[in-house]
Amino acid sequence: MARTRHALLAALPFLLATAVHAQTPPAAASPQLSDPQVAHVAVTANSIDIDLAKFARAQSHNRAVWQFAATMIRDHGSVNRRAAALAKKLGVTPTDNAVSQSLQTAAKAAHDSLAGLQGAAFDRAYIEHEIGYHQGVLDAIDKVLVPNTQNAELKKLLTDVRPVVATHLAHAKQLKTRLERSQRTTK
Amino acid sequence: MIFWLLLLLGLRADAKPRMHTVEIRGMEFHPAVITVAVGDTVRWINQDIVPHTATASGRITWDTGQLTQGQAGRFIGRARGTARYACTLHPTMHGRVIIR
Repeated sequence: MARTRHALLAALPFLLATAVHAQTPPAAASPQLSDPQVAHVAVTANSIDIDLAKFARAQSHNRAVWQFAATMIRDHGSVNRRAAALAKKLGVTPTDNAVSQSLQTAAKAAHDSLAGLQGAAFDRAYIEHEIGYHQGVLDAIDKVLVPNTQNAELKKLLTDVRPVVATHLAHAKQLKTRLERSQRTTK
Repeated sequence: MIFWLLLLLGLRADAKPRMHTVEIRGMEFHPAVITVAVGDTVRWINQDIVPHTATASGRITWDTGQLTQGQAGRFIGRARGTARYACTLHPTMHGRVIIR
């Protein structure tokens, strides 16, 4: 059971990448996602990380993990509010699509895997997940979302979000090192 | 005499406290290192879509609190020294204020 759980967690970055890259045109020819679909993928990706962070806040007793999760809720919430305001301004309704659905399926698998863990094992698995997830989102922004987006303001929002995601990734990596170090000293 | 008077006025003008601005954009402090004089004010303005802080907790301390997009926080350098600061929400974001 534990092995299955770890295998699933290890596969999460690939699930995300597959969900996104499945929509990637072979030679970046014609766009595969419309702007309303791109907006939906972006909002879904943010919402997934907010939900998982709320779960982590309820599960973890580690202060640094708790603070990291708070930052995820705050930042991804800010991005979603900005996306909603832009969609309203442009008169665009985000449209559900295969990429969003794949992300939600992967998110449910991640949640189920983490739900069986506790204490330091949960903290490590959550942060590992966040590293893979943010790397996957960065790849999606660079290779799928920005190249597919036609509207300049939506493209600008995605470009503005990129450094936020990159900073979250660096923060998660820093936290992983800290968790490993504290695990070594408690052994 | 006039020369010395002008020089004196010039020195007085130089001694007037100045305002320095650090922009927070792209999840970085710009400039990351800033040199100011005692009495000068450093102002951080957040241009990012997510909140930030500029917080120093060493010998020289200040905390702008959370700044949302468009908001600014200030600090006046009262004594010489170098202060390292960070965003408490994003610990990988660092900056330095050198007070001379």
